[in-house]
Amino acid sequence: MNNLKTFALALALLPLATQAQERYMTRNGHIAFFSATPMENIEADNHKVTSVWDATTSAMQFSMLIKAFEFEKALMQEHFNENYMESNTFPKAEFKGKLAGVTAEQLKKPGTYEVTVSGDLTIHGVTKPATAKGKVTVDGGGAISASSDFIVKPEDHGIKIPGMVRKNIAEEITVKVRLTYEKM
Amino acid sequence: MRLRTLLFLGLLIVAAVGAYALLEYNRGVKGADDLKVAATVSAEQLLGDFTADEAAATATYVGTTEQAVQVSGTIRSMAPTGDGKVTVVLETGDALAGIACEFAEADVPPDWRAGAAVTVKGICTGLLMDVVLVRCTAVV
Repeated sequence: MNNLKTFALALALLPLATQAQERYMTRNGHIAFFSATPMENIEADNHKVTSVWDATTSAMQFSMLIKAFEFEKALMQEHFNENYMESNTFPKAEFKGKLAGVTAEQLKKPGTYEVTVSGDLTIHGVTKPATAKGKVTVDGGGAISASSDFIVKPEDHGIKIPGMVRKNIAEEITVKVRLTYEKM
Repeated sequence: MRLRTLLFLGLLIVAAVGAYALLEYNRGVKGADDLKVAATVSAEQLLGDFTADEAAATATYVGTTEQAVQVSGTIRSMAPTGDGKVTVVLETGDALAGIACEFAEADVPPDWRAGAAVTVKGICTGLLMDVVLVRCTAVV
């Protein structure tokens, strides 16, 4: 059984006797990345990001399949999977950490909260500590969404860019996360 | 005369290589209908195979190069997921996991509803909580 499923089951089976658990999840989160250079811009989208967040303990995890990133151009997608991300060897990227800045009680009323997410980000089989600012919004109907924009450097995760295409790929990749959670 | 012929052939080769490079650079991503079907399977079997041995199922259904998988099952749910995409989830007999099939909105047959028996062709990308298929098309 994969780690995320184990994590979700563990959250679901946590003892309920002591306090009400505020757990949220999505299986349709959106993560996009952008590489902007004078040579060309590269962007890709993944709309099948899974995330589980326990607002009571602040524990947050998300996971995505690298091959679910979609590009406009086939050549970019092939190079991304085969040469850079080596997605046959490292099929998933994952984040495990904590979200600070909003409490389970605050999620019961509409509002926008500035939050900080920190934890371990695993890409290309290399785990590094990561921290990002973001926003959690509760709308009038109680729907909860989260967003964050942050930077990832390919070299931090052991992703080698050949010299021939070095000028085509940015040293800092902008990552955008957009998640709409449902209560578990 | 011979020099002129060689020059012409050289220019022709350069033009052909340039045209090929341009076409290749702009080549679009293939949909499931354009790819070879590597496996035909039921939704229950697909999840069962991933749950039993994720690495072996990944080798079979995801493969090392892009391939399509054809999956039959009953629709558990359908929901828009933004950017003109719709996710159709197929029943697997496991309430916590399904087969999540991502379609472009225009590719979902208008008569599809929860409970309908359907067949989907898509590109399997692996297992998260669900088995995920992208760039799906309906097999009718």
